[in-house]
Amino acid sequence: MYNDTRFLLLFVALVAFAPRAGLAQSGRDYVYIVGSSTVYPFATVVAERFGRASSFRTPKVESTGSGGGFRLFCDGIGVDYPDISNSSRAIKASELSACAQNGVTEVIEVKIGYDGIVFANALSAPDVALTRRDIYLALARDVPGDVPGELIANPYQRWSEVRPGLPDQRIEVLGPPPTSGTRDEFVELAMADGCRQFDWVRELAAAEPDRHRRICQTLRDDGAFVQTGENDNLIVQKLEANPRAFGIFGFSFLDQNFDKVKAATIDGVLPTFDAIADGRYPISRPLYFYIKKAHVGMIPGLERFLVELTHERTLGEEGYLVDRGLIPLPAAERESGEAAVSALEVLPLAGK
Amino acid sequence: MDLTSILLLLAGLAVGAFLFGRSRAQALGGGVGAARNLHSLPDYYGYFAALCAVLPPLMVLTLWAAFEERVVLALLANGLPDHLQALSPGQLDLFLNSVRNAASAASVPADPVLAAATDEYLSLGRSSRWLLSGLAVVLGAGGVAAAWRSIHPAFRARNRVETAIRWFLIAASGVAVLTTVGILLAVSFEALRFFRDVSLSEFLFGTTWSPQAAIRDDQIGSAGRFGMLPLLSGTLLIAVIAMAVAIPVGILSAMYTAEYASTRVRALARPVLEILAGIPTVVYGFFAVLMVAPWIRTIGESLGLNVAAESALAAGLVMGFMIVPLVSSLSDEAIRAVPASIREGAEALGATRSEIALDIVLPAAMPGIVGGILLAVSRAIGETMIVVMAAGLAANLSFNPLESVTTVTVQITTLLVGDQEFDSARTLAAFALGLVLFIITMLLNVVGLGYVRRYRERYE
Amino acid sequence: MNRVVESRLRRRHRRERTFRGLCVASVLVAALFLLVILGSLFRQGASAFTQTRISLPVPAMLPAGDLPDSGAMDYDAAVLDALAALLAIDPDRAERRELRQLVSIDAAFVLRDYVESSPGRVVSDASVRVPASAKVDMAIKGEFDRTAASDRRPLSDLQIDWIDRLVELGAIERTFNTALFTNGDSREPELAGIRAALMGSVLMLLITLAVAFPIGVAAAVYLEEFAPRRAWIRLLELSINNLAAVPSIVFGLLGLVVLIDWLGMPRSAPLVGGLVLALLTLPVIVISSRSAIRAVPTSIREASLGLGASRMQVVSHHVLPQAMPAIVTGTIIGLSRAFGETAPLLMIGMVAFIVDVPSGVTDPATALPVQIYLWADSPERAFAERTSAAILVLLGFLLSMNLLAAAIRRKVEK
Repeated sequence: MYNDTRFLLLFVALVAFAPRAGLAQSGRDYVYIVGSSTVYPFATVVAERFGRASSFRTPKVESTGSGGGFRLFCDGIGVDYPDISNSSRAIKASELSACAQNGVTEVIEVKIGYDGIVFANALSAPDVALTRRDIYLALARDVPGDVPGELIANPYQRWSEVRPGLPDQRIEVLGPPPTSGTRDEFVELAMADGCRQFDWVRELAAAEPDRHRRICQTLRDDGAFVQTGENDNLIVQKLEANPRAFGIFGFSFLDQNFDKVKAATIDGVLPTFDAIADGRYPISRPLYFYIKKAHVGMIPGLERFLVELTHERTLGEEGYLVDRGLIPLPAAERESGEAAVSALEVLPLAGK
Repeated sequence: MDLTSILLLLAGLAVGAFLFGRSRAQALGGGVGAARNLHSLPDYYGYFAALCAVLPPLMVLTLWAAFEERVVLALLANGLPDHLQALSPGQLDLFLNSVRNAASAASVPADPVLAAATDEYLSLGRSSRWLLSGLAVVLGAGGVAAAWRSIHPAFRARNRVETAIRWFLIAASGVAVLTTVGILLAVSFEALRFFRDVSLSEFLFGTTWSPQAAIRDDQIGSAGRFGMLPLLSGTLLIAVIAMAVAIPVGILSAMYTAEYASTRVRALARPVLEILAGIPTVVYGFFAVLMVAPWIRTIGESLGLNVAAESALAAGLVMGFMIVPLVSSLSDEAIRAVPASIREGAEALGATRSEIALDIVLPAAMPGIVGGILLAVSRAIGETMIVVMAAGLAANLSFNPLESVTTVTVQITTLLVGDQEFDSARTLAAFALGLVLFIITMLLNVVGLGYVRRYRERYE
Repeated sequence: MNRVVESRLRRRHRRERTFRGLCVASVLVAALFLLVILGSLFRQGASAFTQTRISLPVPAMLPAGDLPDSGAMDYDAAVLDALAALLAIDPDRAERRELRQLVSIDAAFVLRDYVESSPGRVVSDASVRVPASAKVDMAIKGEFDRTAASDRRPLSDLQIDWIDRLVELGAIERTFNTALFTNGDSREPELAGIRAALMGSVLMLLITLAVAFPIGVAAAVYLEEFAPRRAWIRLLELSINNLAAVPSIVFGLLGLVVLIDWLGMPRSAPLVGGLVLALLTLPVIVISSRSAIRAVPTSIREASLGLGASRMQVVSHHVLPQAMPAIVTGTIIGLSRAFGETAPLLMIGMVAFIVDVPSGVTDPATALPVQIYLWADSPERAFAERTSAAILVLLGFLLSMNLLAAAIRRKVEK
C-alpha cells in the first residue's frame, strides 16, 4: 500500500517458511513397532542401541498392548501398518486368521525370553502370601457359592473375607486393560487355575467349555479391579503412592523398581529370576516379537534390526536385555530362534 | 523445480503484475500524478492485477500439492513391469515406499528394477513440476491479461481489492465457528456410536465405572460398566477443593492490588500472579506428585488420619493455586470497574477501607466476580495434566478429600493414550466423556461470560 | 456516648487491620507458593546439568600399534577391559556383569567414535572420557543411601567399592551434561536429552504461528471493524469467547477424530500438533487483537474517514499499524501458552519414545512438556532430576517469550 518493499519481504518470508511438501519427501525409512507394554522397555532399548550402532534411523516404538498391537499389525501390508508387533503372549489363532484376511499371510515369530506376571504392592505395605485361589476369589466377577452349581456375584470387599489371614483391607487391584497380553495371560494362568479348585467348575470344562471360561476368566467390574492404561510405570507409581493397592504387571518392572514395590508370593513361591527361569513360579509366560515377512527387505533397516534383536549380546544369558529384567531363553532355543529368523521361517497359518 | 522455487516464481509474478497494473493505470490516467483521472489510486490497479495473476495459480498449486504424490505414484505403478503389477496393493505400497526412499537417498539402488523405477519416479516428479510451473505461468499470464482488459480509468479497482480482502476476513472469522462445530460434530459422532452399545441412562446415572469391554470375539471380558457418576463426583470434589483455595486467595489478593497496594507494590504483586498463570500445567502436576502429595500424607499421618497418597486434596490444592491468577485478574478488573464516585461517597461518610471494600465495592463488583468464578470452575473441571499426574485411577464414589478419586479428564487420557482404534465401547467411552466435558464447560463459560459482559455494560 | 463510639471505632479499626492482613497474606501465600515451586525445581534440577564421566586410558582398551578395522572391534569388551585394568582386577563372569553396570552403554560408541576419528595409531597416554551409568552418577551426586540394605539399593557392595577406588584414582569427574541438550530421549537417563522434544515444540510453534496469526488477526479485524451487528455475529463472538475457555483436552479429541481419523494425517506428527495448537491459540489471538484494535482511538478512524479514506484503508493504514504492537504481544503470550500445553498432544499420539531429532513436520516427534510428563513418569531416580532440569529449560523459554512481549509493550507505551 504505502510501502511495496514491506509487502515483498513478507511474501519472501512466507515462502521461506513454507513447509517443504511434495516429492522431496522420503517414504517411511524407519522400522515401526507396536505392541505390549511389558515388552516395550525391551523393544525401546534394542531400538535405541540399533539406532546408535547402525546408520539406520531409530525405530518408532508405541505401547499399545499386545492385543491392540495385533489389531494394528493385522490391518494389512504397507507403509501405514506396523512392521513388528511385540507381545507378552503367543498370537491367537483368531488374530492370525484376521491377519491372513488382510493379506498378512506370512508372519515370523521370535521368542525373546520369559517373564513372570507379578502381584505386587508398595514396599511400605505388609508382605502378603497369596494362592491362585485367593486371586480368583478376589477378582472374579462371579464366584461359586456354597452349593455346587451355584454362582453368586462376588461378595468379597476385603482381603480378609477372601481368606482369614490375609490383611484386613479393601480389595483394590490395578491391572491392565483388555488390549493387554499380560491381562490375557493373567486370567488364563492365575484366575483359571484358581477356579479349577472348585470341583463342579472344573467338571464344566469338558461339558460346557464356554461357560467354564466365562466363569473362570471374567474380571469383576464393581470397582475393586481398577483398569489402567498401557503404561506399567504408571502402575508402579500408583502403587508406591497407595499402599493399600496391588498391581498386576510383568516381572521386569518389579526387577527395575525393587526399591519401590515388592511382590506377593503366589502359592508360596516368590517371583525371582531363578524361580521364573526354572518354572517354579506359577504365572510365567514367554515374550514374543512378530514380524511381517513381506516388510523384510522393503523397510530400510528391518533386516538389520532382526539381527540385532536375536543376537547373543541382546538375548543371550549375558545380553543387555537380561540387565533389564528379561529372563533369557536356554542357549539352544535362542540359537535355533536366531537361525529361524535369519531363514525367515514363517508361522503356519493354521495357528496353534 | 521444488515447491519453494514455484512459490518464489509466483511471488515474482505477483510483483511483476503489481508493477504492470500500476503503470498501466498510470498510463491510462495520463502519466504519474494523474491519479485524479482514475477511480482508484494507481496502487490498487496494481494489487488487482497481482490478485488476478496469483490467485488462480495458487489454487491450482494447492490442489496439485494435495494430489501430486498420489497421481505420480499411480502413474509409476502403471508403468511397472508385469511381475510387480501382479503384487498385492500392500506389497506394491511397500515397493513404492522403497522407491521413494531410494529417490531421497543420494546413491543409486543396487537392484536394477528398483533403480529403474526410482529413475522413472524422479523423472515423473520432474515432469510434474515443470507441468505445474508451466500451468502456473500460463494461468498467471492469463490473469494478467484479464486484468489488462479490465483496467480502465473508471474501473473500481479499490472496491474489487477490498471485496477480496473482506472475503478473506469473513473466512477467517468462520474458522472459529467451524472449530466449535467441528468439536461438536466430531465428538458427538463418536459418542453416538458409544451410545449404540451403552444406554444413555446407564452412562449418566450409573454408579460404577469399569470400562473393560473385550476387544476380540474369543476374549473373555465383561461387558464393562460405564456409569459416569463416580467420575463426575471425583471431578467435582477436586474442583471444589481447588475453588476453596482459589476463591479466597484470588479475591483477597485482587482486593489488595486494587484497593490497598501502591502503584509500586502493585507492579510487584501482579507479575507474581502472572507468572503463576504462565507456568505450564505439567509443571504443576509434577510439583503435586513430588512435593505436595507427600507433605499432605505426612501431615495427615501425624494427625492420625488415613490419607491416600493420591488424595483429591493434593491435586485440588495445587490446582487451586493454578487458578488463583484467573480469579484474581477477573476480580481485579471487576473491582476497578466500580465507579470511583461510589467509593468516594462511602469514603466521605467515614467508612474504613475494609468497609468500603466489603460492603460497597464487593457487592457492586459481585456479578463480574461471579462470572470470573464460573470461568475458573470451568477451568478446574477441564484441567487435565495435574489430575493425570496427581489424582488416582480408581473410580470411587466418595466425597472425602483424603480419598483417592479419579476425574473425567483422567479417564479420557487413560482410555485414549496408546489405543488407536475407535471400535470398542471402551475407546468410544472417552468421546462420550469428552462430550460431557465440552457441554458442562460450555454452559459454565456462556453463563460466566454473560455475567462478565453484562456487568461491564452496566458500568460502561 | 463517647466511649461507645470509641469502642466501636476500635472494633472497626481492628476489622480494618484484620482484613488488610488477610489481603496481604493471600498475596504472600501466592508468592510463597511460587517460590516453593521454583525453589524445589532448582534444588532438584541443578545437579542434572552435570554428568559423571570416567576417563579410561586408551592403551588399556586398544591393542598397541595399528588399529584394527573399526567394524571388527568389540568395543563393549574393550571398555570393560580398560575398567578392569584401571581397577587392577581380574573379573570373573559375574563380576564383569557388575562392572558393565558402571558405565553407560554409550561408552562403547564414544570409544568407536574416538577410534574412527583418530586415524592410524593411538597416542600412548591418551584417555577417553566415557559417561558413567546413571546409577554411578546418582551415587557420586549422593542421591541414594549407601548404608541401606544391599538388596534395597541399586549398587552392590562391590560396585560401591569400585566407585570409591575410581574416585581415589581421580578417574571420575563431573562435567557439564551436554547430552541433555544434544540428545533425544533415551531409556538410559545418562543419555536422555531434550533436543528432539525441543525441536518438535519449535516445529509445532512455527505451524501454530503461521496458521493462527493471520487468521486470528483477520477475524479480529472483521469482528471489530466490519461485522454487522446481527444475530449470527453475536453467535460468532460467543463461540470465540467460549472456545478460549474450552478445556484443551477437547481440542486434542478434535485433532484425533478430524485430523487423524478422518483426514488420515500421521500420528505423532508436529503437523497435527501444530494445527491443534493453532486452533487452541486462535481464540486467544482473536480476543487480544480485538482489544488492541478497540484501543485505537475512534478519532483516528473518524479523521481518516473524513479525509475520504475507505473503511479498508482506515484499517490497513491506521488502525492495524497502531494496534500491531499490542497484537504481537498478545500473539506471543498465546504462543507461550501453546508452548507449555500438554494434554491435547497426548490425544494425538505425541507421547511416543522419540530418539531421533525430527527433521520435518511429518516425522514422529514429541514436545518438551510431553517429554517432561514422560520423564516424570519414569521410575529411575535419575530421571527425576532430569525432569526438573527440563522444566527449568521450559520455564526459561516461556520467560524469555514473555519478556519479549513485555519489552514490546513497554517500547510502545513510551
